[in-house]
Amino acid sequence: MSVAESTPVSSKIPHVPKNRATFLHTAWRVIAKKPGRMVGLVIILFFTLMAIAGPYLYPRNLPINPNAIYAPISWKYPLGTDFEGTSNLALIVTGARYVLFAAFMAALFTVVIGTVLGLVSGYYVGWSDSVIMRITDFILTIPGFPLLVVLSTVWNFGQPVAMGFVLGITGWGGLARAVRSQTLSLRERGFIEAARTLGLSPFHILFKEILPNIASYIAMNLLLAITGSIYAEVGLFFLGVVPFQANNWGVMLNLAVFSAGAMSSVQALPYLLSPLIALLVLTLGVVLFLDAVDELFNPRLKEA
Amino acid sequence: MALEFEARDFHPRGMQIRDLHVIYQTNQGEIPAVNGVSMAIAPGKITGIIGESGSGKSTLAMALMNAVPKPGRIVKGSVVVDGAGDMLTIDKKIRQKVRGRDIGFVFQASQNSLNPLIRVGKQVLDLGRSHNIKDLRALLRRAKELLERMGMDAERILLSYQHELSGGMRQRVGIMLALVLEAQVVILDEPTTALDMISQASVLEIVRQIHQERHLTTILISHDMGVVADLADNVVVMYGGELAEAGSTEEILAHPLHPYTQGLIRAIPRISGPLDQAIALSGSPPDVAALKVPGCLFASRCPKRLPKCENSRPIYEAIGSDRYVACFRGTEHD
Amino acid sequence: MIDVKNLVKVFTAKKGVLGHDAIEAVSHMSFSIPGGGALSLIGESGSGKTTVGRILAGLEVPTSGDIWIQRVNVMTLPPAERRTFLRQVQLIQQDPYQALNPARTIEQSLEDPLKVIARERGKNGAWIQSRVHEVLLRVGMDPGSVLNKYPHMLSGGQRQRIVIARALTVEPKVLVADEAVSMIDVSLRLGVLKLLKDLRQEFGISLFFITHDVASARYVGEDGQLFVIYKGQVVESGPTDEIISQPHHPYTQALLSAVPVLKGLEDPGPDRFIPLRGNDQEQVPDTACIYEPRCPFAQAKCQKERPVLQGAGHAYACHFPVVRRVVATMK
Repeated sequence: MSVAESTPVSSKIPHVPKNRATFLHTAWRVIAKKPGRMVGLVIILFFTLMAIAGPYLYPRNLPINPNAIYAPISWKYPLGTDFEGTSNLALIVTGARYVLFAAFMAALFTVVIGTVLGLVSGYYVGWSDSVIMRITDFILTIPGFPLLVVLSTVWNFGQPVAMGFVLGITGWGGLARAVRSQTLSLRERGFIEAARTLGLSPFHILFKEILPNIASYIAMNLLLAITGSIYAEVGLFFLGVVPFQANNWGVMLNLAVFSAGAMSSVQALPYLLSPLIALLVLTLGVVLFLDAVDELFNPRLKEA
Repeated sequence: MALEFEARDFHPRGMQIRDLHVIYQTNQGEIPAVNGVSMAIAPGKITGIIGESGSGKSTLAMALMNAVPKPGRIVKGSVVVDGAGDMLTIDKKIRQKVRGRDIGFVFQASQNSLNPLIRVGKQVLDLGRSHNIKDLRALLRRAKELLERMGMDAERILLSYQHELSGGMRQRVGIMLALVLEAQVVILDEPTTALDMISQASVLEIVRQIHQERHLTTILISHDMGVVADLADNVVVMYGGELAEAGSTEEILAHPLHPYTQGLIRAIPRISGPLDQAIALSGSPPDVAALKVPGCLFASRCPKRLPKCENSRPIYEAIGSDRYVACFRGTEHD
Repeated sequence: MIDVKNLVKVFTAKKGVLGHDAIEAVSHMSFSIPGGGALSLIGESGSGKTTVGRILAGLEVPTSGDIWIQRVNVMTLPPAERRTFLRQVQLIQQDPYQALNPARTIEQSLEDPLKVIARERGKNGAWIQSRVHEVLLRVGMDPGSVLNKYPHMLSGGQRQRIVIARALTVEPKVLVADEAVSMIDVSLRLGVLKLLKDLRQEFGISLFFITHDVASARYVGEDGQLFVIYKGQVVESGPTDEIISQPHHPYTQALLSAVPVLKGLEDPGPDRFIPLRGNDQEQVPDTACIYEPRCPFAQAKCQKERPVLQGAGHAYACHFPVVRRVVATMK
């Protein structure tokens, strides 16, 4: 127990097992607790795998079949075909890489920029805070979508990184503000003041004391930013304002609506629905998984 | 006195608690928070219930009102209030009337028991409306009387929001809200925790004076032996959800029988007398797992334990008039 | 050891567009604590006692005054050096629930400051580990059972011990304990108080003990000094036992009267009085005694002239000092 009088003072240091390797173990327990979380995880893993391995499953140029244009759903074409007779399933699978990679990059830019600027501006109140917040306000007032439309006239979005960068650079304002306000309240807490009197560096305080306390919030934002970015880029391609360079769910939507007339003809409906369903299932996966994130990063919810 | 209050006799009311069991349903199983508590609250007296955090004293307080918060649940027992019936079995509507009108509850000072968005005066009116009081003017008048009685500027307080009041003032407002419907039994749960010494002393003094003036029956719940010893007529000591000892304050303080009570008294630093008389109580309050041992709950911290203390639990029994203890060494030690 | 001369802290609050409202939280305070000694600062909430502690720990900058620690004037050090130097002053905060990072294990919290020191002194990881165990054992905690725990798994008393252990990692010369036991169960308070008292002797630490409870102050520093502070001003100061047995200022007497009397063991002091009037924030004119509005013994002079703290050794700021027997006596 915890009282001086009853503790034998030993000169040897007893071995205390480390529990840092058990994060994955804890994560598994948290996720396995509710079936919804498992479904979410499976969906996310499924799409991630699709993005990584998808393009290798099919030839570089997908086979076309002039005899099966807008073919209905069948064993050979589980999701039907497009205007050239290419399998919609192949289009979805090979298109996943661009969509997911661009979205992941966008979310990464959003979270890294938003978190760092939010932390710095919340912790160092003063002129740096004012400067960062003015920039944040400026970013927040830029309408991201129209900016992308304008940028796409001068910039080639053939590389997903470029797309992700532009989406990220316009999207971090909200997160920065939220992280700043959380940092502002945390910096008044006793343990931050204690860290200062113990002579710990500001870098340590920002990234080892404050960051773990908002980790669950940031992880949630990362996931939400991914879905948000997917919608934004798919939207751009759907509008057709970005030159088509690769297979992409947004391109499919665009062609389905504007070329195949899926809004009026039944035969092109599988062509329209397959990217929509892919988006829907992915979003569902993210939402289901979000439930686990809070518990995963919040030590209070971890069991003793 | 307002007319809609039926003529009530102002004989102090007592309370009889019999074999009360409250459990908490957690993911570690059922935890007995209050485990077979029986006691009589003497009418017109101040009864102090003392225990550490986790001793079940606050759960007991809520159980007396039949208001144990989830995931807690009263599984057994009775709480009979003189003139009102058994709180655990009477009709829900009547029970809500009894709370506030017969039994007043004062929450912990550190808790925000006042609504932060509503002025104090409006909360008095809301309380009156929920009890169907027609003469709200008389109610406000009574609230003012009480506040002034406690040495406060009543007009100003009634127009204040919670954040405009200091800790000691908030606690007095809490006492006013508990008494404004003329309750005759008052339960105070940790009324002075988080208050500084002078505010604590003045709140205790106010409780003492109002208790006498209004012939109340007062139940004071605290972790501070000093507070209980200063104010209460009778003391009940709780440990791990069970009763350890009870008796008159003078008796308990001068001749404590249970080693836990002895430890609590010795652990109070004093402002007179030799310093080395104060000895820290060793160990920690029992945790969930420790509540399930077959032996005495205090055995692991007890300096006077016997071999049988580890195996069987002593019975809480009377050893004199109004004197109870649950210890195998009963009356034998100092 | 620590030496404080003429410490003043004025807080300015913006008062609309018209200007500032200045509140003197600490007014011309001087004291010194030898190595291993103790000084208790007693007062109500809002008396400015916490501000003094935060200034000593380097969390607030005083408006004026000098602070000497180990014969170095802290105020003349360049900011970067001051930060490292003030590591010798460690603050034990009131709320052990806020003082530990909820997202980090006890081991992580204790290692952090030790890593900094290890870098400075060229020590290795094994040294850090042995220091972690050393400080935990010193505060009476079993390293094996707490190192991997998070703060929420510990009780208030255990957390406060961890906070003290963390302060010990940097080998402080001064400990500032700000209401260090007021949020801990009374039954466990004495253990923490005893720990603080023992650390004084064992490491020669000067203890600056901030409290509203005279009895705790007496327990940790019976041989030290007692300063009674009201609205930022010292109203009585001197050796702890002398002030408790011979209180001259009515405010000191009110604080002593407020200590609960243990029925059956003690008899209340014959002059005990409980002030019912609360601590109100109204400003007292500079020409009146600051305690006059609440003082039950105030006379006409108290409104016209502010008394100054005078006396060698045992000093008090009162026009009409009378010793009252307010302390309870053992039966």
